[in-house]
Amino acid sequence: MRRVLVLMCFSMCFSACRPPALIPPGATSQLPPSHPPILVDVAPKEAPRLLPAEAYVRTYMQLFGAQTLLEAQQKAKGKDGNQLFDNWGDYLTTLGFPDHRNDLPRARETNALMIATFERLGIALCDRAVERDFHAPMAQRIIFAFDPIDPIDSSQFAERFDVLHRTFLGYPSKLAPPGRIDRYYKLYKDTQTKHAKTRLSPTEAAWSAVCQGLIRHPEFLLY
Amino acid sequence: MLNRRQFIQYSSAAIALAGPLGRALAQSKQASDEFFIFIHAAGGWDVTLWSDPRNERRGIVEPASTANTDTGPIRLWQDAPLDSDVRSFQLIQPPGSRIVFGPGIGRLADFFDRLCLINGLAMNTVSHPDGTAYSATGRHLSGGRALAASVDAMIANELGLTQTFPAVSAQFPSSFAGELDRRAVPLTVERVGSIGRVLARAGAWEKPEERDSVTALLSEEADSLAARAEERGALDGFALQNGSLAKMLGGGLDEVFNENRLKTAWPQFDYKARFQGGRAVNAAFTVEAMKRNLVRCVGFALGGFDTHGNNYKTQAQVQQEAFDLIAELLKTLDTTAHPTRAGRRLSDHCHVLVMSDFCRTPQINLAGGRDHYPNNSALIISGRFKPNYTFGKSDPEQLLPLRAKRFSDGERPIAPPDLLATFLSAFAIPPRRYLRDGEVVPELLRS
Repeated sequence: MRRVLVLMCFSMCFSACRPPALIPPGATSQLPPSHPPILVDVAPKEAPRLLPAEAYVRTYMQLFGAQTLLEAQQKAKGKDGNQLFDNWGDYLTTLGFPDHRNDLPRARETNALMIATFERLGIALCDRAVERDFHAPMAQRIIFAFDPIDPIDSSQFAERFDVLHRTFLGYPSKLAPPGRIDRYYKLYKDTQTKHAKTRLSPTEAAWSAVCQGLIRHPEFLLY
Repeated sequence: MLNRRQFIQYSSAAIALAGPLGRALAQSKQASDEFFIFIHAAGGWDVTLWSDPRNERRGIVEPASTANTDTGPIRLWQDAPLDSDVRSFQLIQPPGSRIVFGPGIGRLADFFDRLCLINGLAMNTVSHPDGTAYSATGRHLSGGRALAASVDAMIANELGLTQTFPAVSAQFPSSFAGELDRRAVPLTVERVGSIGRVLARAGAWEKPEERDSVTALLSEEADSLAARAEERGALDGFALQNGSLAKMLGGGLDEVFNENRLKTAWPQFDYKARFQGGRAVNAAFTVEAMKRNLVRCVGFALGGFDTHGNNYKTQAQVQQEAFDLIAELLKTLDTTAHPTRAGRRLSDHCHVLVMSDFCRTPQINLAGGRDHYPNNSALIISGRFKPNYTFGKSDPEQLLPLRAKRFSDGERPIAPPDLLATFLSAFAIPPRRYLRDGEVVPELLRS
């Protein structure tokens, strides 16, 4: 019995002292040339969602050409009282800001009232932009940085629409889903044709409508 | 015999159909002329002053008394002996009432024959946001976020999608979660007047038809994007909400959302009351909007209940003003015609649920106030619920919820999910469609 134990101890010692077995690297094989490249799936996996309300307000400020909220408010109101704009305080809750005084959380989904607020703000921004830009030198224009010729054909419209599309949606209009330029051209023409006499000329009203259609666009509001 | 493949195909089709079909069937039997009012007593009310009155020292209960309460403005306060120099209040039980109230109930005591009172609601929380969410959704918060839709969104989703405003929420703790129709997202505002300002449109720049053309184009754009999207919920909602916008703008709704006009139209509400006066306009809005059949659910908050310190002296007055306002609202609904049912009063088809975050401690703290306590009460005023009825109770010595009945998971107190499940079931809405927890309590329902 003792002899067996001694033999076992010796065999264990020898096996523990043996150098580690080396496994030589195998030959690497290349993918056959006919094999298609493996694509990385970069498709968005989350549903489109709202940005924090602060992002909208900061963007509106930038588009109004204002440094502060108060300046944006003054520009939006103009000398017309509350016709186009009241004050930011009236819109903050409906834009989805949290209300810490009342423990109301940040809105995470659009609702019909938020859509109405986007419309109210979009109208103020676009109408004021039309009034300002079309009477300013080209270098000082913020939104409508083009010459609003009249009459305008579809290709001339597309060229100008592209300027607005890049401003509001951040990419060339040619890359938009098919039919978008035609739809906006139709909106432009219909508005220009039907526009009754207001403070805006038919051409100004038509460009304002196009501007509103972009600043209220789902791609502007959701990401 | 079906083979395995056929079985799977037929089962999948049946499951796919079950949702919309089930909903369509359920909706077909649900009433669509009902209106709902949800009121949140924000801050946590002291139930010992109204629903679960305590006027003697027992266990850890220190009742409201002349030592800790300003009794002067409380109309129903009548002294009852407590100490040699300190008085508590006498319990209030109007003739014919099976409910015993405290003096905070105010004029709502006159409506005892319509009240269904739930006491001993187990809250399992003493945090304001959590208690609020638990009362309104039946779920505790997770990471500060509501996990379920609030009761107004649930009801709006079932019964209100065709209304111009399915759910309006003026500081009511509304939340939206789950696979609900996006039109049911509660319109959350600080004040109803904000809605009027958001809906105001000037005619000096463009005409309504021009704005409508832009809105129509945007609905089309949203539809076109939704058709290409992997997840189309938000985009579909966008298109639907743009559709609702035209309805909202076309109704001439200035009077409904103009606070001054509301106050003139409904002078019976006390807009100068010390604590609830500023919120009384929400009651006026509720009646006006329901009279015009614009809304399905209105939720609003009443405040001033969070009384940790010396301000506890005003708790009874805060309650009295809140319940006076609700009483006045009921009285007004009684005299207002239903917009679609000829010969019926609005109150016949109006259902009110009043809730709070939790209740306040039975002890008075060192600052002279009461802190948060995991018990609660709720109030339902609805033709579908038993009137002049109290369900549930609390411990006489500790004010903690006591077992109310045997539920399927054993004997336990009633909790907010049970209350919400019962509320939904009263309108033939299957609770499991919205609530993970909770069990219908048939004892609360009118047979």
